[in-house]
Amino acid sequence: MMAIEGYVLLSAGLFCIGLFGILTRRNALMFLMAVELMVNAAVINLVAFALYHGTLTGQVFGLFVLGLAAAEVAIGLGIILVLYRNFGTIDVSVPTTMRW
Amino acid sequence: MEGLFTFAPAIVLFPLVAFAITLLVGRYLPLGGAIPGIVATGGSLALSLVMAAAVAGGETTNELVYTWFETPEITFHFGLLIDPLSAAMLVVVSLIAFLVHVFSLSYMNAEGETGLPRYYAGLGLFTFSMLAFVVADNLLMSFVFFELVGLCSFLLIGFWYRTKSAPSAAKKAFLVTRFGDFFFLIGVVAIAASYGTLSFAGDASFVTAAESAIDSETFFGFDADTWVTITGLLVLGGVIGKSAQFPLHTWLPDAMEGPTPVSALIHAATMVAAGVYLVARMFGYYALSPTALAVIAFVGGFTALFAATMGCVKDDVKQVLAYSTISQYGYMMLAMGVGGYVAGVFHLLNHAVFKALLFLGAGAVIIAMHHEQDMWKMGGLKEQMPVTYYSFLAGSLALAGIIPFSGFWSKDEVLYDALIVGLSEPLILAAYAMALLAVFFTGFYTIRMVRLTFHGEPRSEAAESPHAIGLPAKIPLAVLGVLALVGGAMNLKPLEELAGLEVAFLERWLDGQGVGSVDGLTYHAYSETVHYGHEYIGGPEGTVILSAALSLGLALAGAGLAWTLYSGPEPTRHTERLGSLRDLAVANYYQDEYQVWLARGLTLPLARASDRFDQTAIDGVVDGVGSVSRFGGERLRRLQTGQVTDYAALVILGVLALLVVLGINGGWFL
Repeated sequence: MMAIEGYVLLSAGLFCIGLFGILTRRNALMFLMAVELMVNAAVINLVAFALYHGTLTGQVFGLFVLGLAAAEVAIGLGIILVLYRNFGTIDVSVPTTMRW
Repeated sequence: MEGLFTFAPAIVLFPLVAFAITLLVGRYLPLGGAIPGIVATGGSLALSLVMAAAVAGGETTNELVYTWFETPEITFHFGLLIDPLSAAMLVVVSLIAFLVHVFSLSYMNAEGETGLPRYYAGLGLFTFSMLAFVVADNLLMSFVFFELVGLCSFLLIGFWYRTKSAPSAAKKAFLVTRFGDFFFLIGVVAIAASYGTLSFAGDASFVTAAESAIDSETFFGFDADTWVTITGLLVLGGVIGKSAQFPLHTWLPDAMEGPTPVSALIHAATMVAAGVYLVARMFGYYALSPTALAVIAFVGGFTALFAATMGCVKDDVKQVLAYSTISQYGYMMLAMGVGGYVAGVFHLLNHAVFKALLFLGAGAVIIAMHHEQDMWKMGGLKEQMPVTYYSFLAGSLALAGIIPFSGFWSKDEVLYDALIVGLSEPLILAAYAMALLAVFFTGFYTIRMVRLTFHGEPRSEAAESPHAIGLPAKIPLAVLGVLALVGGAMNLKPLEELAGLEVAFLERWLDGQGVGSVDGLTYHAYSETVHYGHEYIGGPEGTVILSAALSLGLALAGAGLAWTLYSGPEPTRHTERLGSLRDLAVANYYQDEYQVWLARGLTLPLARASDRFDQTAIDGVVDGVGSVSRFGGERLRRLQTGQVTDYAALVILGVLALLVVLGINGGWFL
């Protein structure tokens, strides 16, 4: 059995990739993908620690988060559609009307 | 409540109902809405007489009517206290209110005044407030109706609100008395806070609480007896304002701006009487404090003289009467202050009758003179208005204190009580001397007024052909004239002292001998508490004769002087020979001026300074907090760029900073 460190490192790596995507990308689709990466990094952590502790709670949680991520994508895509309809682009730096 | 006292609340409520009816539908009623008021006060008078009869039959009542609200410490309630004192006062107040209503038919209706429903509604509310004040069984209820009386006087003094002077006089009356009532309110709160009760009578009264606290307890860092003095003097502030004692007397002469029947009501039965009545009502409390009593006596004696001197130089008949009122209430205060509870109440009742008579008489003269009030334009009215003349003369002789009219008996008793105490107390002796001197001035200004108004030759066209006065004016004058003549028979104390006859009826009445009484509220109980000793010159009998001779002699001297000075068809203005002294008295000793100066020169700048402090310092701090927030917000909002990326970056930076802090605290980097 692999040591827990491996899973945690994988998870941290995925999370950082996702974070990098959020901080650098301007395309909303890329944004959504980066968020998915971060969510999945969290799921890996949950499952890994469930294995480590020998309980099923984390695994069940992982399934829930997968379902949640699917829903999130649906909403995210919807938002992106509306964004495109209103601004003619899916560049997230263009719509700034919600600031002060 | 049982027996006849079941009907006691109706005495108070009748005028209130009349007020409501007149206010709501008065304009559709005949006679300008006078009828409900006359019926109601007549009903109150009848019921008051029934109550007096019940008290004479040996019953009293001290009942709770309505609980306002209660806390574990204190209960505030409205109740009825009918004992000999309040029963006597009820009769007098309702009698005079009734006669004033009747008289108003001549004074107001016949003169074609407008706004009559407002006038009669005001009279009704005034009577209601005073009657409720009279039967009040606790100090808070007294205060409530004391204030209501003040409000009614404001409404009625300012009845002719289109003139310039009446609204100003109304405001002055309200504000000056309100200034005194301010102290009264503090006194009520202090008494409630220290004894936990405000009742006048019974085991749970503040008087008994104070009595048992003396020598054993302290309140707010004061000995109980000092505390009684302090609270007593605070309540006295209200008395001085309402009863127009020095230095808060200035509102009363101005209050002459109101219709004359209202002046009669204010001076005789309601407003002004309320102050002295309050002292009588809580006399057991004042009796505990020698200092408070001495203050009352001295203020009274001084006011009696002070006002009498001003009355001597006035040309307006109502002004003379106004100053005589202030002076006479001074006598009552003096009586109370020397422990002469009976004498004070006696003079209060007598004065109510003869002052109502004098004001109504003056009202009749004013109608006859086509609303001319200057005595120098009158003269010669004696033949033309005999009813008014003889009743007015009876009232005047009572006021001057000429035997056998009522005023002589009560004023003599006041002076006698002051003298026997004064012989061992120098301060009281000074007050007595001032009051004695005032007797001379009283005789002078009274007879001067009678002489100028009714005697001699007519000095104006109006006086040559006076306007006829109606029957509604004559009947009250006749009734009161008879009472002013025989009122002294209530308490013929000197005869009792000298001849051994049992004729001091009022003393027995107020002492509850043979009539109903409430424990602790008797003359007997008060006399035991009052600490004064009595001394006599030539024994009690000798002192009685000396005192009576002095007061009667001075009154006759003053009256005789005025009688000779103002004789003849065209009297001359003798007071003008007094020169600057007269100017001083005509200007009311510059009392108004210095009070206006106090308001304008002292209070106004102080208020301005406070206002400036409020605007700059206090508001500055508040505004400063606001400005700092606004400025900070202006800068901080730049963080909101609207770029999702920036927000994400900030969140991550924040998490990292948190990690570093936690790390340092957790010792990871060591």
